[in-house]
Amino acid sequence: MKINIFFLIVFISISSLRATNLDMNGAINANYGNSYDFYDFSENILDLNFFYNDLQGWIQYEYSNPPDIGFMTNDIRKFRLEYSADDFLIKLGDLYEFWGRGLILNQFDDQVTNFDNGTRGLYLEYNKGPMSFSHMNGNSNIWGMGADLRIPGYNNIHSMAANRFHYDLSSLSLGLTQLRSNESHDKMSGPSALVSHNLKGVYASWAGGNADLFVEYVDKVSTEKTTMFGSIPNDTLKRGHGYYQNLNFYFGNWGLSTEYKRYAFDKAHGDLTANDYGNQIEYQQMPTLGKEQNSTLLGRLTHNYNFNDERGAQVELNGSLLGLSVSAQYAHLSRNEEWQSVTAQNWVDKAVSGYLPSSDPSALPYWENYQEISGYAFNDKLYFKLGRGANKEILKTTRYFEGTQQDLSINSFWSYDTTDTMLFGYDYQIIDSIEVFDTSFSDPYDVESKLWQQSKAITFPMEVNYIFDNGYTIGIGFQYQERKKANKAMGNATSFNAADSSWTMYNPDDYNDRYSTSTTQLANSDGTVETQINRLIYLSISKAPRWSFTITHDWTNSYDASVPVDPYYNPLEALIYGDLKYFTGKRNSIDPPSWVQNRWVSAEFAYNITSSQRLTIMYGSIQGGLFCSNGICRLIPPFNDGLKITYSASF
Amino acid sequence: MMPVSMPMRMVQIILMVLLALGIVSGDDTQIGSKIPNLKIRLLDGSSTTLHSLTEDGPLMIDFWATWCVPCKKLMKFLDQYHQDYSEDGFKVLMINTDTPRSLGKVRSYVVSQGYQFHIGMDPNKVISKKLNGMVMPTLILVDKGGEVKWRHQGYIAGEEVEINGQIRQVLGKNIETQIEG
Repeated sequence: MKINIFFLIVFISISSLRATNLDMNGAINANYGNSYDFYDFSENILDLNFFYNDLQGWIQYEYSNPPDIGFMTNDIRKFRLEYSADDFLIKLGDLYEFWGRGLILNQFDDQVTNFDNGTRGLYLEYNKGPMSFSHMNGNSNIWGMGADLRIPGYNNIHSMAANRFHYDLSSLSLGLTQLRSNESHDKMSGPSALVSHNLKGVYASWAGGNADLFVEYVDKVSTEKTTMFGSIPNDTLKRGHGYYQNLNFYFGNWGLSTEYKRYAFDKAHGDLTANDYGNQIEYQQMPTLGKEQNSTLLGRLTHNYNFNDERGAQVELNGSLLGLSVSAQYAHLSRNEEWQSVTAQNWVDKAVSGYLPSSDPSALPYWENYQEISGYAFNDKLYFKLGRGANKEILKTTRYFEGTQQDLSINSFWSYDTTDTMLFGYDYQIIDSIEVFDTSFSDPYDVESKLWQQSKAITFPMEVNYIFDNGYTIGIGFQYQERKKANKAMGNATSFNAADSSWTMYNPDDYNDRYSTSTTQLANSDGTVETQINRLIYLSISKAPRWSFTITHDWTNSYDASVPVDPYYNPLEALIYGDLKYFTGKRNSIDPPSWVQNRWVSAEFAYNITSSQRLTIMYGSIQGGLFCSNGICRLIPPFNDGLKITYSASF
Repeated sequence: MMPVSMPMRMVQIILMVLLALGIVSGDDTQIGSKIPNLKIRLLDGSSTTLHSLTEDGPLMIDFWATWCVPCKKLMKFLDQYHQDYSEDGFKVLMINTDTPRSLGKVRSYVVSQGYQFHIGMDPNKVISKKLNGMVMPTLILVDKGGEVKWRHQGYIAGEEVEINGQIRQVLGKNIETQIEG
């Protein structure tokens, strides 16, 4: 009933709006999905914008039961009113602001990943000449994903206030920012932590003809409120800082972009969890210094960026050569510390020297480089793109020790102990023996014991399409990837022995005897696999501006334990592989041939009902990741043997 | 909340479709509605408004990002139209939606391609939401008076013919090429 009332209100509103001088626009996005393994969703979102002189309004209604990711919703999800007059701007409702490059504040609502760090509250802005002053305050309910891949598990509640002063002077800009938030932080277990965050920042930019520069710095102090015996004055919980700079050069048809970052809000030799709080907060969404990939296979290798503890540099060159677009990129990132596991549980850190990232495996370094060439030929009828991407990443370190230790030698011998004892007036001599221990240490010797996990991949994405004179376009895309993921171990010692607090030597008789092993972490049904080979091919035919049809075949020879297989056999796969048994009933659909499990096949048909209405129907399986088809790119979760229908309209 | 059956979900989707069809009323666009006078910051650091960009002639607005391949394919043609019809006051405004992850590479890419159209910056998608440009690319053609004349989502190779035709129609020129739909 509620939904019907809402639609009624929408219709009445639109009718009345059209009858007045008000302007409005809207958009509808409806997604429906159903797959064999009960992964189904139905989400419908309606956005309406109203404009009346200096007044603007936005309302978003959602009916999702369930959504692709997130909670079931049948309500007005977002709203905002804005009023601007002379030098003032006032916003009331759901706020999404972006200051500097996001080291203090970068708010957005990403429904694909269900991340929403917006604030419901008040925003005031005053502009006078080159100066502007902004203030905002309100509350945010920010949900993070937990163990469940579709339903959020953690909720951090912020009560925040932020201010910004911005000054423009010709090609120079300067900004001062400040944000304060009281957070109720959801931990993995137990009551929430009450944390106060205080951030102060500064940014500056300069734009010249052949170069431009942007720098931003933020300092952050977090304190925790302890509630034992009532309120106790806060103690500093964590203190950190972040720095980012972007220096670009331009010469002719070439542009060189350089970026540097150093984020140090927390530190850890492994991953941080919800129990690590007081560090970077959700409002801080900063530059990552990684390539935003648009090929499916490269998109799956995205580095897990650490906003709390990471430094790095990125260089990218873009240019034109002989009418072709050329791009080359290189990035190197690492943690701010190198770590030593002095025991199995205790890790100590040492700051990475200098300003550049480390290559030491204990600092979890990440390297990537990507080159691409693309262009048009044959009077713009042929488009092609050829790329090459290489990634290497240390995923985790299990032990990492390089130092010295001494052996403890214990020699014992028996000695006689003679004691005179008076007994009943007589002097007796008792002769006893006692074991005497003599401890000594050997000379120090070198010990090395390292075990880490790394992945390395090389990828070649390519795409060609050709437009015929009759308006039809044929396209083919092919992506090839070789990937290794292995546990690397090396040194002259193996594990740490807690009983005698020493490293166990690999060869007790010869401490110089060393080992170096590599154990693959990839497997398939036949056993372990050294090199994973991924291939993705898609064929498309389209007729502008009406429709396009794409068949995508994704294939791998092995997988990580976390990557889902495709165990169900669908008629599309049977058709493509010419498996006639499927159609004659001789093949059991729930007992498919083994090769099907490493393949994902899907077909998608997109139809432009009108120029502003688009209907898309997809059938089959998709492994997941960033997916580009029929002219639109989006991130999607894995989807096995099902149907997806998407309708979008703007008006 | 009570779970909803599959047929009910389909009914809801159909309702949404009917709602959209009712709103659009058979037109591809809401002809006559005026583009809001939004303020937008340009790549060179200056600011402008959408209405000031339509003072001299029609304006084509498009939303793009450096990682969006279909957007990049389309940009080449839009820049060509921006130059071809500049004497008629026609302009193209490419609104960039790169987040801080890739914001630093925007100017480098534009310079490398030698593009001459206007580049607007919308890193937190405020403008995109107000103009319903969340799908990339989304084209909005506005006439000299600021009225929306045509909207389009996505890019299928070959659609530049249709785009060129729509621009020529707004400019009052002969449509030399056949336009579908």
